[in-house]
Amino acid sequence: MSNRIRSRQSSSATRISDDQMIDLVGKLRQFLPEIRERRRSDKVSASKVLQETCNYIRKLHREVDNLSDCLSLLLDSVDEDSQEAAVIRNLLM
Amino acid sequence: MQPTSSMNEQFLKKWQMGLQIFRPSIDNTSVSERKRAIKLSADVAMASLRKGTTCWSRALIQKAATEDSFLVRQMLAGIKEETLINRKLPKIVCHRKIVRRSKKILMRRKSRSAMEEVTAKAKKLVKRKTKGLRNVVPGGEFMSNNVLLIQETLDYIVSLQTQVNVMRSIVDAAEAGVER
Repeated sequence: MSNRIRSRQSSSATRISDDQMIDLVGKLRQFLPEIRERRRSDKVSASKVLQETCNYIRKLHREVDNLSDCLSLLLDSVDEDSQEAAVIRNLLM
Repeated sequence: MQPTSSMNEQFLKKWQMGLQIFRPSIDNTSVSERKRAIKLSADVAMASLRKGTTCWSRALIQKAATEDSFLVRQMLAGIKEETLINRKLPKIVCHRKIVRRSKKILMRRKSRSAMEEVTAKAKKLVKRKTKGLRNVVPGGEFMSNNVLLIQETLDYIVSLQTQVNVMRSIVDAAEAGVER
């Protein structure tokens, strides 16, 4: 209860609780191999988890960007018989 | 906590809807314009899955609306699109000078043990990493507390994975079709 009141007063300074960090590590474990390999889950530092999370999100952004590049190039129907373009058009449009 | 097949389907449907809007012009545009259309519709599709219930999705929709509000309106038709596009969120302003001054005063009063130094450094590091996270999650600068930030981050990650999975399957399907 007091945490909630405190968080309303100094909202941007609210600390991430230990429980939350453990929860976050648990959920991120499946996505982040670096954390998955550690067996002593409680010893993983909060800052490392946050850093890995940032890195992972940036990696996903890059993948979306690459895939968008790929799709836009495949749709480039210079070759009118382009099979890739046909498949993509059928699937997407 | 993985993207479900229904999330994949919903994303694909929405993304198709967005691309339909570009359909007439897509053959006559440059590769970079095409890429922009593909990416923008993919982002709006991803954000629309949350129907305005998360901070990151609202921020992403607003950002997309500044690039192409017609597209966003079409794609979100029926999900309170006007409120989603127009709602202004208050930015968190950190008055650094005030914080620095009060920190200096506190430091002068307390003499710190080595243990306190270590803890303080760790806290600073976490704070810096948290700020880094705010920079990559859409709308991070509007998330008023770290509890919310973590929840939003987890949801955002699952949504990004959905987006990547579906986009990758389309590329794979296209390339597989050719090898036959």
